[in-house]
Parts: sequence; C-alpha cells; structure tokens
Amino acid sequence: MDDLLTVTGAKRYSDRVLYALWAVFSVIMIVVAVHDYYRGGGASLWKPLLWEGSSMSFATLLLALQRTIGRRSYDRWLGEPSKWFGHHLKWFPLYLLAFLVLVYGTRNGVYRLLGETYNHDAWLVLIPYEAVKLLLFFGLWLGVIFGFDSFARWHAQQRHLLELQRALAESRIATLSSQLRPHFFFNSLNTISALMHMDVERADRLLACLGELLRASLQSGGQELIPLGEELRLLELYAQIMLERFADRVTVQWRVDDAVLRIGVPAMLMQPLLENAFKHAVERGREKVRIEIAAVRKNDELVLSVRNTGSSLPPDWREGVGLRNCRERLQVIYGAAALTRLSESAAGVEAVVTLPCREPSA
Amino acid sequence: MIRALIADDEWAARAKLSRWLKEQGDIEIVAQSDDGIRAAEAIFRHRPDVAFLDLQMPGLTGLEVAAQLDQDDAPLLVFVTAFDEHAIRAFELNAVDYILKPFDKDRLLLTLTRVRGRTRDRKARASAVATARAQTHSSERLLVPDGEELRLIDTSTIEWIEADDNYVHVHTVARSYLLRRTLQDLLTQLGESQFARIHKSAAVNLAAIQALAPLFKGDHDVQLRSGKTLRLSRRYKDALFTRMQR
Repeated sequence: MDDLLTVTGAKRYSDRVLYALWAVFSVIMIVVAVHDYYRGGGASLWKPLLWEGSSMSFATLLLALQRTIGRRSYDRWLGEPSKWFGHHLKWFPLYLLAFLVLVYGTRNGVYRLLGETYNHDAWLVLIPYEAVKLLLFFGLWLGVIFGFDSFARWHAQQRHLLELQRALAESRIATLSSQLRPHFFFNSLNTISALMHMDVERADRLLACLGELLRASLQSGGQELIPLGEELRLLELYAQIMLERFADRVTVQWRVDDAVLRIGVPAMLMQPLLENAFKHAVERGREKVRIEIAAVRKNDELVLSVRNTGSSLPPDWREGVGLRNCRERLQVIYGAAALTRLSESAAGVEAVVTLPCREPSA
Repeated sequence: MIRALIADDEWAARAKLSRWLKEQGDIEIVAQSDDGIRAAEAIFRHRPDVAFLDLQMPGLTGLEVAAQLDQDDAPLLVFVTAFDEHAIRAFELNAVDYILKPFDKDRLLLTLTRVRGRTRDRKARASAVATARAQTHSSERLLVPDGEELRLIDTSTIEWIEADDNYVHVHTVARSYLLRRTLQDLLTQLGESQFARIHKSAAVNLAAIQALAPLFKGDHDVQLRSGKTLRLSRRYKDALFTRMQR
C-alpha cells in the first residue's frame, strides 16, 4: 500500500507549484496590508511588514512543520477526506497557541528593540479574532493542499496502472507465443523412443528437430520480428516431426514467393495455424489430408495462409486458443493493421493472416 | 496366453508397444487398430483380454471406445496418453492402468503385472467402462454394426430395443441393428431419462410413444409414432405411467 502511495516525481512537482502558490499568496497578503496601512494614514512601512510578515512566516512554519512530520500518515488518509481533515484540524488549538506566542512575541520584541510599544486589542478580543482568522486561512490552505496531494496520488496511481498494463501485455505476449502444446512434445518424444529401436539415424534427426523447435519456442517470447524465411524454417521443423508421426495420412505443400523471405514476422506466428490443421483434420479425421502453406505479397501486405482438407467448421464454431492467441499477438504488435481470418470452402478450411510488410528486428 | 489389442493412430507408438509386448512369452497381439472405430470393431470381433487404448484417435477417442463396450464383456482397459489430462484422472481408481507417453519398458512391465493379476477380475472391467461413460456423451451416440463396419447412430433415432438371448435388436424407424450386448447394460449406457423398460425383454424410447391403450388384465398396448404396437407388461406399467406424466 505504501509503495503505491510513495509518490516521487509527480509529488515533487506538485509540491513546487504549491510552494509558489503559497509565496504569491503571502506577497499579496503583505501588499494588501501595506496598502491598507497607508490608506489609514500610517507612515512607517516596517510596521505592516512586521505584522503581516510575522503572521505569514509563522503560519508557514507551522504548516510546513505539520506537513513534514505527518506527511506519510496524512497521505494514507487521502482516500478518506473526513479523516484527512480531521487529523489535520485536531492540532488546531496547539497550532493557534504556538502561532499567538510566536507572532505576538516577535512583534513585541521588534517594537521594543526599536524603542516603541506594540499596542494591540485586549487578549479577550484578540484571541477569538485571531482564532477565526487563522481557522479560515488554515481551512482554505488545507483544502488546497488536499487537492494537490490527491492529484499527486492519482497521478502516481495512473502511472503505476500503466506500468502494470505494460507488464501484463509483455507477459501476455510471452504466453501467447509459447503455444506448442504439451501433447505435441510428449507424442513426439514417444515417436522418437519408438524410432530408436528401428532407425537410429532417423530418431536422431527427429530429436534434433524437436530440440531446435523447443529452443525457438523458448526464444520467441518478445515482440521482435524475424525474417519470414526463418519463420518458415521453424514451421518446416514442426511439419517434419508431424509428417514422421502421420506419414501415411497427410501431405504438406509449400507455396512461397522468394521475394517475401526477408519480410519480418513475429516468431512462431504460423505454428498454431499449422497445428490446428493437424489437430482438426489429421488427428481427428480418417481421410487422407492435404495441407497447403502459402506466403505471398499483395501490394504492401504479406499474406500468410494455411489451408487443409478433411475438416470443416461446425455450425457452433468458436474461435480456439491457437487462433485467438495468434490474433491477440498481432493486435499487440501491429494494432489494427494486421488481420486474422478463418474461412471454409469446398477446398477445406483456410486460416489467413495479413500483415503490413516490416523489416525484421536487428 | 493373454490376448491383447493395441489401438493408436500413430504407427510408431503401435510399433513400440507391440515390440515390447511380443517380447513377453505370455502375450499374443490379436489386433492393431489405427482409429477408434476400428479399435471397437476389433474388440467386438476378437474379444481380447486386454486393450491398450490411445486416448486421442480419429473416429472415436479411447474413452469413447471404452464407453461403448458392454460392462460385463469388456476387456481389461489400459489407457495410453501423451498428456496427463483431466479425463484420465478419473481412472486412477478403476482402470487397470494408464500409461503416459513416452514410457520405458519398466513402466510397461508394471502395467503387465497388474494385467496378469486381474485377468479374471470382472469388476475392474465394469467400473472402467462406467467411468468412461460418465466422461463421454455415451448416452447420445451408439456404436452399431452396419454390414462389415461399425458406425455411430444418434440414440434419439432409436424407437425401441428388443432383447434376444445374448443379443439385442436396436430398432430405428428406418432399420434395425443387431448388437451383442445385454439389454440391461445397453439401457445403463443410454441412460434412464430417455428409455424405459416395457417388458422383461423390451424397452422403448419415451419420445417415440404415441399412445397407451389398456388391454385385458392390466396389460397395455404401446402405440409408437411409427405405427408399430408393443406390449406393456403389468410389471413395468406403474413405472412407465409415472414417467410419462413427468
């Protein structure tokens, strides 16, 4: 809680504004007092300066003292104005006493030093008068201070919230990109463990594929863009493993323009799309499936697609995890400029991603 | 000899399992299937003692295959899966075993020890089938023989069911199917809400009933929407009347 309220930059800034405001207020008060004094026929400039100056400086001192000592606890009550004001105002009697002693002591002292006598109203009249005056100013300034402090806290919370959102987006994109299903890994490991007994070389190759894919998926956390050529190489690793597992049930075709290989794309972007094709058509269906992977450029956009035969979208189709992750990840990186679309035709189900052409990150 | 069936849609997984099973002196592999429907067919045809069922298969999942078996007649079930899914945990208490991929030979040998110890245990089979039914929508779809093959029919299309020794005739409006199941177990699978006994050897889909007509001595005629008339015996009358009113 305290961390949330420990307000640094914003508070310091608003404090400076507050002090400046206070200084302006003091000057005005003094000018008014001087002006008043001359209109009343007075001739000694130092007198109104002393009166108002002593009042202002001691009021400032006391307020500053209270603010320094009690700041932390007062900040805690910013959310409950009645408590905040209550805890300030409970010190008012002491405040008043200290104010009277200091102000009138100083004025008397200065008068005496200059060989004059400081005449003021009787204490019985003076004390209520000063009390009301002080309470008015005290109240006014408490209001102002409350406003400033509340603003500073609000500002700090906003910043904290923004940071939180940014962190959330980062972690979100990290989870979104690590979408290789555990199923895939365990099944692949099982395939390798079976292959070992039959063809050590093939098992070894498959293990290397799996290792490389795992490494890529662990690294693909951020928002950086890799060249499409690299992305397709990773996709091919995945396809190789799946082909080893389902060799007799699927064919995979690639249709890739050479011209698009250097365009930047988020790493492992297409993997969930290909995974979906395998999951819905190959792993669930009994027919032989054809998968076509395409990457072409259309005007200023890169169009990536994965199409498969052997599956259809059910009438109550709802977007699954793979596609949603893909879309949300694109949303974070490209905003509204990227599109994800799933469609069905006689030729099968097709997932299409359209991206603006960007350079790969360095 | 213990007669075993292997069902997995990945050839490598089948190869691995069959290699190690063949090494055992007392196990004979009677069939290998690469999808759920063919696995069920093979179980009905070969009646193995133990079936190794992969959970993820086209056609029917391993669980769906298990749910379509007759409780008293099922093989011992060993589920094999790549991932410790929620579904498989239900079997911790009553499947013979489940194995997680990839597994080593020691793990398989442990399973085989359990299998050998339970080849005569009827209860283990029945409860595994019951658990599989609870996990799947087995009351909505029924696996029936259609020529040489098996296929799934929607259970709401069934009009009535008739016991015939160790078999049952499942009648839909269009045609009938002959299953080697007991009427009692089939009704357990289809669930109480949709079907009701009307006779020692017959049950009817409540939704297919058009009218009930009283006969001599408390018996009734059950008239079906299709025009067919069945006999309701006194013994099941009260139960059926109560359910019709609901």
